[in-house]
Amino acid sequence: MSARREWPADTTGRVPFWVYSDPEIYRQELDRIWYGPHWLYCALEAEMPAVGDFKTTTLGERPVIVIRSAEDEISVLENRCAHRGVKFCQARSGHAKDLLCPYHQWAYDLNGNLLGVPFRRGVRRQGGMPADFDPAQHGLRRLRVEVVNGVVWASFSAETPSFREYLGEKFWKHYTRVYDGRKLEVLGYNRQHIAANWKLMQENIKDPYHAGLLHVFFVTFGLFRADQKSAVDLDETGRHSVLISCKGEQEVNDVTADMKNFQGDLRLADPRILDVVKEFPGEETVGMITVFPSVILQQQVNSLTTRQIVPTGPVGFDFHWTHWCYADDPPEMRLRRTRQANLFGPAGFVSADDGEVIEMSQQGCAAAPDEAALVVMGGREIAPTDHMVTETAIRGMYRYWREVMGL
Amino acid sequence: MTAFPIAGVDRLAVQALYDAYYGALDDVELEAWPDFFTQACLYRVIPRENFERGYTLSTMQAESRGMLQDRVTGLTRTQMYAPRYYRRFPSPLRIVSSDAEGTRTRHNLLLVQTLIDRPTEIVLSAVCHDLIVEDAGRLRFRERIVVFDSEMIPNSLVYPA
Repeated sequence: MSARREWPADTTGRVPFWVYSDPEIYRQELDRIWYGPHWLYCALEAEMPAVGDFKTTTLGERPVIVIRSAEDEISVLENRCAHRGVKFCQARSGHAKDLLCPYHQWAYDLNGNLLGVPFRRGVRRQGGMPADFDPAQHGLRRLRVEVVNGVVWASFSAETPSFREYLGEKFWKHYTRVYDGRKLEVLGYNRQHIAANWKLMQENIKDPYHAGLLHVFFVTFGLFRADQKSAVDLDETGRHSVLISCKGEQEVNDVTADMKNFQGDLRLADPRILDVVKEFPGEETVGMITVFPSVILQQQVNSLTTRQIVPTGPVGFDFHWTHWCYADDPPEMRLRRTRQANLFGPAGFVSADDGEVIEMSQQGCAAAPDEAALVVMGGREIAPTDHMVTETAIRGMYRYWREVMGL
Repeated sequence: MTAFPIAGVDRLAVQALYDAYYGALDDVELEAWPDFFTQACLYRVIPRENFERGYTLSTMQAESRGMLQDRVTGLTRTQMYAPRYYRRFPSPLRIVSSDAEGTRTRHNLLLVQTLIDRPTEIVLSAVCHDLIVEDAGRLRFRERIVVFDSEMIPNSLVYPA
């Protein structure tokens, strides 16, 4: 099908709608992007503190087990028995001495090595595995892993450069601004399914233009607005981006006049949700990093989350939010972060808008695959900017996407 | 097992509170919603996995009637969402205990939504842990903790449970 797919002549200014719904394109994305030379978000290291602690998650469409296999080692193993393909671990998280498939009780150690096969030598000299059966050849598939300042990343590909190189030096700086080596701790989870193509979620966080318009809550209370000091940064390839902004106050001015929904008269009855404290160096209050393709690293005032994208087909993805704090945060800081979580997640004053609107995007785009989106806000260039009236980061992602997809 | 009926609890009055509460929400009388709670209160819609691990992080949280009002303001004046109908199906009530603190109840809740052109679907399957007190001559919630089993919310949770 993709043979018929051609990119529009306006190469950076247009994104054809078939990218969001073509099943063949999606299948190639799994192979080339999700199982290709990219680092995928798995977990926070704090989720598996002791040897044997594990959680399960999904990378691309493949279920994996993220397990602390030794004091200083985390293993990411495909959750698929080497015998008959059973997704044998069904728990969200837990603790294990070894990994056992219930079907025929094949057992693996915490690194995925096959320990034993029942009736390998047969029963009373009948049956059994062939003499050439070598357990060493039948372990669980083990992914490459890097644990970077409290975050567990994995890659299916041997070609992927080191995580730091994958980010590039500029994005290493953005990453370590929040993930600075301090111990992290989980505050809680949110999970939602959004009936839209996974790239629309990436685009949403690469699009500062909408943030100052769609999110009336943000705009009204001065948390993120088009006239505030802000910036968009991209890595060399265009695949990663960060939106940076500095919060202001609630005020009416010439810029709010362009926002039809601006509510200058709105007051909160209990404004503790906006009790924001400065905690990171610099004047920026927002740093939203998209690490291609799997995650959004959110720092919105004092709310810190990882938002993991798990594609479930061309027109859907599961969105897993892990809200976290620093392990040494005092109780009032934990409470502050918990309160501000009302802005985010499936019922977030701000994030619910995004889930809704990208599903609406999907509905419009899927119905007209041969039409195309216009992404020329801020020009056709792909370069960092010092304002948010731009779609440059979306253009950057698609330049990289086309390169990987050979389109 | 708790002995039943619990002395001193007017079951009919408690039931009437729930009838009015769910009636107001199903009829989208959102302005009336905060008044079902005491001034200082705790309202949470929280995933089961958070609740069981002792995490307080919630999908929706309010610690005062004011925050509940702000939730209504957000819903009616700032948020964008596709139009939908919510309907709540509470199970029969179980009165867990009653003491100087108030009356603790538990019941299951199924929250169902219907969007334009779409089949009706379940938003949440939950159990509600509530604490009801007498406040200014009427019954109100001091605590309402809606613990939902649902692993994946179908996109957004728009209206309260």
